[in-house]
Amino acid sequence: MTGLTEGAIRLTEHEGRPQRRTAGRSKAAGQVARHVVLIAMAIFTLVPVMLVISTTFKTPEDVRINPFGLFTSFSFQNIIDAWTVGRFSDYLFNSILLSVPSTLLVIAISTMAGYAFARLPFPGRTFLFYLVVLGLLVPFFTFMIPLYFQLRSIGLLDTLPGAILVLTSTGISFGTFFMRAFFAELPVEFEQSARVDGASEWQIFARVMLPLVGSGIGALTVFTFLANWNNFLVPLLYLPSGEFRPLTAGLYMFTGGRTLDVGPLAAGTLITILPVIVLFIVLQRQVTQGFISGAVKG
Amino acid sequence: MSVANRSSAPAVTRRAQARLGIVLVIPVMIMVVVFFLIPMGNALYYSVVDFDGLNPNPPFVGAENFIRMFTDPRMWHALSNNFIWIVVGTAAPMIIGILVAMLLWSVQRGSVTYRLAFFLPYVLPGVAIGIVWGWIYDPVNGLLNEVLRAVGLGDLAKGWLGDPATALYAVLVTAIWAGTGFAIVIFLSALRNVDIDLVDAARIDGANSGERLWFIVLPQIMPVFLMVLTLTLVGGFSVFDIIFIMTGGGPAEATNVLGTYSYTNAFQLNNISYGTTLALLITVLSVPVAILLNRLQRRHSLQGTSV
Repeated sequence: MTGLTEGAIRLTEHEGRPQRRTAGRSKAAGQVARHVVLIAMAIFTLVPVMLVISTTFKTPEDVRINPFGLFTSFSFQNIIDAWTVGRFSDYLFNSILLSVPSTLLVIAISTMAGYAFARLPFPGRTFLFYLVVLGLLVPFFTFMIPLYFQLRSIGLLDTLPGAILVLTSTGISFGTFFMRAFFAELPVEFEQSARVDGASEWQIFARVMLPLVGSGIGALTVFTFLANWNNFLVPLLYLPSGEFRPLTAGLYMFTGGRTLDVGPLAAGTLITILPVIVLFIVLQRQVTQGFISGAVKG
Repeated sequence: MSVANRSSAPAVTRRAQARLGIVLVIPVMIMVVVFFLIPMGNALYYSVVDFDGLNPNPPFVGAENFIRMFTDPRMWHALSNNFIWIVVGTAAPMIIGILVAMLLWSVQRGSVTYRLAFFLPYVLPGVAIGIVWGWIYDPVNGLLNEVLRAVGLGDLAKGWLGDPATALYAVLVTAIWAGTGFAIVIFLSALRNVDIDLVDAARIDGANSGERLWFIVLPQIMPVFLMVLTLTLVGGFSVFDIIFIMTGGGPAEATNVLGTYSYTNAFQLNNISYGTTLALLITVLSVPVAILLNRLQRRHSLQGTSV
């Protein structure tokens, strides 16, 4: 649409210059073609999400006859079934119970370490930083098997603190790396003048520097929360009894039921992704900026 | 790092800084040691013993697990799937990503909406993605088969995840669907730094859009390009979640990669030592690639191209 008006404006601007006019017209056509391609791709990208919403709000009978036809009936029955019979209300609660503390821990640990690695010289700093970053390079499942037996031997297997700590550990390498980049960018003048004013090193960190990296902390919070919310391997492996099963692991266990339960499964999927989608749309700037700067700052 | 002029600080300040620095990194180091270094050390230990998950003193077997691994045709099959995954799963998001980013580059209205739509799959949980795409590939009334029938290609309809010939590629398409938005958004942000005058100059000189992309745009966003390449490549070596969720490595091991084969050995067949050895192989393969590409990326950044 914009392309068209833009082209039209250009046409009137260059009235009486035929070669320019054709250029304007082909540019407008190019813009339209561009939007057609982009809209087609956006629809292709969003169809799976549509499918979840459509199947969730079908009547159970319609799900049985025509499970994947888009928006052919309407009912809340699947949501109700998933919420009560499917225990998705418990799973939702457990997801919050796991994601919120682990996210807060990641933020606290990474912010402190990021500051130290960026601005406080101490012996062995470079070596320790490399150790932390090594955790970014090694895939989790390389050591997930030994970690299972380690947690079992120290009594943390199948416990909420155990799962929260493992979730935390999956985020701190990236978090430290990310926060260090933010702290490293701050000008030295801030801490120098605070030091002249008699502030202690801790006060410089907590009162002067910390408020300046708010955007970084915001982005890391959203990013980490999404990662913890979406994680299914940690709860699946380290909470085997299912007492604290979160949404992702609940969904995974639910898939064993196969086609019969498509309706409630769709509803469960929607319950799982809805907070993610809402968070993503509301905080889209933090999310994309977090991903981009997280990647580019490397 | 802005530590250059720190040496002029008085000794009292330096001592105070070192003290606080050590205090602030203690939590992260405890976490890294307990939840990364110790399990990594145990992984190395498991690979040279025969551990069944129960025996506290497993017998030492030397290189036996490694010999078994390199003579195991299933490992080679899984590794070859990893390579297919790496090549297709890296090339497709990169190519689609740069093309869509170029399309979006000059779009003013709606560009935020497009970006949101394309990026959304990237933030969704893998389990949800696997479930929905399982429906799309459903043998009876899956969306893909419905579409094929609607356009008169009903003969091609099949159970895409149940057929060993198509299963791996079906999962790959899902992964590409989920991952391309990341490449699009990153490339788009890199394009903002591209000197548009150079592109216009090339257009006036008669360069077509392909030439403009290859000779003008791509060199300018090279560091970002290499960064996305590194991330997708390393992700390709360590692929696990999406295959585990969608096929579990089946049917008939058609989609087995090192990650799923390792998991099956450790948690279903109780070959804990062998499963760990397989997992170590992935690390040994992927870490050097990551470091190499990172070096390359640094060198490009240092040349002052962009970012």
